[in-house]
Amino acid sequence: MNALRALKARPMRALVRDSRLSGLLNTGTAHRYATTAQPKPSFPPGSELAGKSKLTAQIHEKLKIMQYKHNKILEQMTGDISGMEREDMARLAKEQSNMGMIVVPYEHLLKQYSELLELEQMMNADDPDLRRLAREERQEVLENVATCENDIINGLLPKDSAESAGAILEIRAGTGGDEASLFCADLLHMYEKYAQLRKWKLETMSMDSEGDKIKEVVLKVSGRGVFGVLMFESGVHRVQRVPATETQGRVHTSTATVAVLPHATNVNIVIKESDLRIDVFRASGKGGQHVNTTDSAVRITHIPTGISVENQQERSQIQNRERAMQVLRARMYERERSRLDLERRASRNKLIGSGDRSEKCRTYNYAQNRVTDHRINFSMYNIEGMMNGTALQIVIDQLRIQHDLDELASMDDFDYISPPSQ
Amino acid sequence: MPRSVLNNTVIPLLRQLTKKLGEQQAKNELRWMTDHVRKAITTKHTVEHTTNARLWRDQCAPSAEETELASKRFSSVQWAWLRQAVHDRVETNKPLQYILGTQPFGNATVLTRPPVLIPRWETEEWMLKLADMIRAENTGLLNVLDACTGSGCVALGLACALPRGSVHITGVDISQDACELALENLARNKAKQAVEFQCVDLHEQSVASELMSRRVWDMVVANPPYVTPAEYAELDPDVKDWEDVRALVPGDPTSDLDQSGLSFVVRLAQLTRELGLADGESTKLPRLVVEIGGAHQVDGARQAMHDNGFNLTEVWKDMAGIDRVVLGYHKT
Repeated sequence: MNALRALKARPMRALVRDSRLSGLLNTGTAHRYATTAQPKPSFPPGSELAGKSKLTAQIHEKLKIMQYKHNKILEQMTGDISGMEREDMARLAKEQSNMGMIVVPYEHLLKQYSELLELEQMMNADDPDLRRLAREERQEVLENVATCENDIINGLLPKDSAESAGAILEIRAGTGGDEASLFCADLLHMYEKYAQLRKWKLETMSMDSEGDKIKEVVLKVSGRGVFGVLMFESGVHRVQRVPATETQGRVHTSTATVAVLPHATNVNIVIKESDLRIDVFRASGKGGQHVNTTDSAVRITHIPTGISVENQQERSQIQNRERAMQVLRARMYERERSRLDLERRASRNKLIGSGDRSEKCRTYNYAQNRVTDHRINFSMYNIEGMMNGTALQIVIDQLRIQHDLDELASMDDFDYISPPSQ
Repeated sequence: MPRSVLNNTVIPLLRQLTKKLGEQQAKNELRWMTDHVRKAITTKHTVEHTTNARLWRDQCAPSAEETELASKRFSSVQWAWLRQAVHDRVETNKPLQYILGTQPFGNATVLTRPPVLIPRWETEEWMLKLADMIRAENTGLLNVLDACTGSGCVALGLACALPRGSVHITGVDISQDACELALENLARNKAKQAVEFQCVDLHEQSVASELMSRRVWDMVVANPPYVTPAEYAELDPDVKDWEDVRALVPGDPTSDLDQSGLSFVVRLAQLTRELGLADGESTKLPRLVVEIGGAHQVDGARQAMHDNGFNLTEVWKDMAGIDRVVLGYHKT
């Protein structure tokens, strides 16, 4: 019964998840109101003076709990250690350092908040010099608050190792015929210019184009943190403008699809030679000296998964095979990764980052000089800057902020312990 | 936004090529031709020249956008080259490799020029496989004779694929054109090993002793002529009209003596025995590696090798599933 009383102190969600006891407990409505009152999550005192915080109230609660746990561990480590085993000591030390990465900035943040309270009092003082001093100090403290919050967020977010690597960018013309192909070329131009600004290296893996019209292009983008930036570009980009091919001057809507795959490092993907079927497009016949062929097309099919990649970009079959293998590895890695991702985030309802190819992400309206990203409902009035690649960073920054907030809001890997008695 | 001129004048060229090659291959070849034009056929007009010309005429200097667009456009010299190239390709069946002048082969780039035989992908494939084998064995310096070297592709391909100092390759060919081209290729591809080329007629009896006096040989590789006279008559014009018949058909094409196309393979097996490679201890590496035309030549080639002391033979297929290479080992 002691166990039951202890359980009653936990929030409802934890109880329902605890499958060991789901048979014993009645988790109906009556029980919900019978739990001990949990204090409503609130912000620490003084935080309202810092303006809108990136961290929600729930997160502050969780951080408080983390701080409590951290202090408990410190007590354990500095207290009577004679009875402890070496492994326990090491484990505690590791936990303490991991938590320290988040708790230390948090404690710093709380200190900043209390300083803000003091400064607030100073601001209401009579002496104008004191008021001026307070204002200046306040500026500094606000900056510290922002840094601390960023540190905490970085510590809390799950690290996705794919984000720091390069990416494979595929742009395909969607609906709209020739106009879609022309738009595809414009998007390619935008990404090329953006990559130039960021000093990334671009390499064309394969391109299916006719003059200015591009049906499909696959690029490899190399650099640090490329995937973390470009992953927001996946989706359907829609353009509304008067096409160059139009005689009457009507506005047409056409689309292009962009897919971004993390560029797999060879370490992670193991592809067995026996699972691959390499098809070379050959006319039936004698071959060898009898025939002079320039056809160097290669198609690699991975039999178990059915993924197939084709490449006929270069004149050498060997080079084409290598490129096709790179794209194949990237696609397999992406498949595996998105499967894991989906499992991990099954319960979430996130706007961004699922990388689903069919979601509408952006509209480019030339007539109104407007670019709108639908996932965050963000509009920008600078098409020229966008298609030059210079204004793309603005949209990506906004997407990144929203992505981080979403991640933060749906994190639930804290374990619950009894909250400190207040 | 102004579209580049490419759109309008490239289409007729594409159409011409499509008639001969089919849509996809025409696009690929046109792309390779335009890439070549951009890199190899440089336009004489630089930005400075244009700026000076304009200013002299009291006009504005070209803006950044204009120079960018101009760099994407082709000059009249480049257009003329492109039109000529497509005309040659379609009307006279000139092989693309002769038009562009190069062919990638393994890690090397081989210059190509009529009438020297253009390196085939099948040759590239077995050359790389052989290089892997040699690398895995990691023996000391191998002395390799590349017979019928043509453009020197096999010799240079092996040299570029193998680590430094693992092989010394001598390429020989009967054709003066081929030897000249091979030397040019040697200069162009900085191989990590010693490679030399010589103009030699392997049918002469004194060849073996002359070669023996120079060094102790470990291996003979070859892509000899193996097209039968009957097949030769049926070949596509872009092979028959442009590539040296001596590189394709062994022996004298006017005489009816050899219908199997194997006479050179037989001669090579003899020569390899004369070079002393049919004796000695058995090694993991083959002594004689010869490309053949297909299943119809496998038995003949194997027999020729057995007759000359290479008691173990192996056959490799290429990626199209055709029997392509016969290897002869000497096992004690």
